[in-house]
Amino acid sequence: MTAAALIYLIGDGIRNIKDNLMTATLSAFTVAFALAIFTLFTVVFVNLGTIIDTWGDKSHVVVYVKSADLSELGESKLKKDILGVPGVSGAEFVSRKEALALLKEELRGHESVLDGIDIKALPGSFEVKIAKDELNPAGVARIVKRLSVFKWADEVQSGGEWVEKFTAFLKFSRIFALVVGLFLAAATLFIISNTIRLTLYSRREEIEVMSYLGATTAFIKIPFFLEGVVVGVVGGVMALVVLAFGQIALTWYIPSYFTFIIESPVSPQSLLIIMVISGFLIGGFGSLLSLGRFLRS
Amino acid sequence: MIQLFHVTKSYGGSEPALADLSLSIEKGEFVFITGASGAGKSTLLNIIFGIEAPSEGHIIIDGRNYLKIPKKDIAPIRKRTGFIFQDFKLIENKTVYENVALSLKVLGVSPSAVRRRVLKALSYVKLQHRANYKPLSISGGEQQRVAVARALVKEPAILLADEPTGNLDAGLAVEMMELFKEVNSRGTTVVVATHDRALIERVGKRVIELGDGRLL
Repeated sequence: MTAAALIYLIGDGIRNIKDNLMTATLSAFTVAFALAIFTLFTVVFVNLGTIIDTWGDKSHVVVYVKSADLSELGESKLKKDILGVPGVSGAEFVSRKEALALLKEELRGHESVLDGIDIKALPGSFEVKIAKDELNPAGVARIVKRLSVFKWADEVQSGGEWVEKFTAFLKFSRIFALVVGLFLAAATLFIISNTIRLTLYSRREEIEVMSYLGATTAFIKIPFFLEGVVVGVVGGVMALVVLAFGQIALTWYIPSYFTFIIESPVSPQSLLIIMVISGFLIGGFGSLLSLGRFLRS
Repeated sequence: MIQLFHVTKSYGGSEPALADLSLSIEKGEFVFITGASGAGKSTLLNIIFGIEAPSEGHIIIDGRNYLKIPKKDIAPIRKRTGFIFQDFKLIENKTVYENVALSLKVLGVSPSAVRRRVLKALSYVKLQHRANYKPLSISGGEQQRVAVARALVKEPAILLADEPTGNLDAGLAVEMMELFKEVNSRGTTVVVATHDRALIERVGKRVIELGDGRLL
């Protein structure tokens, strides 16, 4: 293809958009909203994943040790006992000093309540990590029971059944977000593909004439492909604006401790690049899909 | 050279549009195809151009069997062939100039050459003053001349014309034939389908006469 032909085709693509400005604008809006909803679901999906991973890490059991036994038996003997329990993958000793530091960290800004506290009042403990295949209510309960048998154990605490239930709920939400996201992506592709197909049908006589004049398939396809790509990219940029406003609006309705769920895990610049590339792919692939079907018919 | 061997075209009716037709048109020849309405003139041109495939038989153009040419090789053949359609097939939302120019843009001709050649082609058919008009705002005769200009502007090796003077008055029809003769004198093979006997006699070239899809 010559440079002159290419310049003509790019110009023709721009003319296509000008001639079908209303359709192109509506298509861009469709892409924008579909991409925004899809992205929102992806963000929620990723953030839910982070929560699940965090909860997974926190699915450990804490064994508080009787002070007398700790001094008598020593940290390593107790650790050995714990690691001997089936289903335990690790154990970390948290000394009284560390326990106090952790407490201070958790009470940041209100440290004064700890003034005068006797370090000896804080118990030493072991954070027990549970193997992944035992991370279920029955497994955790079994391990808690085994750990409670140790005479040196003052108290054994676990996250409880609600953590497991919440994790199961989050996992379900994650699958739900994934299914809805995929459905939205398919719907967006379908809409773009049909918008281009409508344009193709409205211009089928022109395409027929071009073919009679000896136009190659590429010559016929390029302006429509460009139209799809421009609509997709513009839609992608608009999606970012929709997302920004959407985030502001949602922040009003979501409790402040839960707003992290709609916070983008990537920077605005990266999100812009992702949106532009997504728009490009949706627009380009959507137009190629309909062009292929149309030219074959 | 255009050769047809035992070409039959049937649309499913009782009589085929073309029946066992064999003919040969030499390179650089000027030929008229004539016959009554429904004789198969347009079908014959469509088959030579490759818009329609024959039900039986073979078409050889410049030594290549048209029916065995891969789809991707059809475009280069059409680039060398000008076709004047009976219904003009002009693009309504493009101007007269753009309609003619499209023929050259498909060939990848540079913008400056496109402009020069389109204006020259429009002057041949006396339509320079209509360059910026849309097809639906000019008369049928003028539309036909735009179709002629679009076919001639690319200086085709083969020119196929289906009733190219059907909407023209006698004077313009004669001028159009003179234009075709001039194009033919420069080496283009010209095949004109027409039922205008007077025009055929005036030009005085070989005539292929069809009747009910057969050679008469």
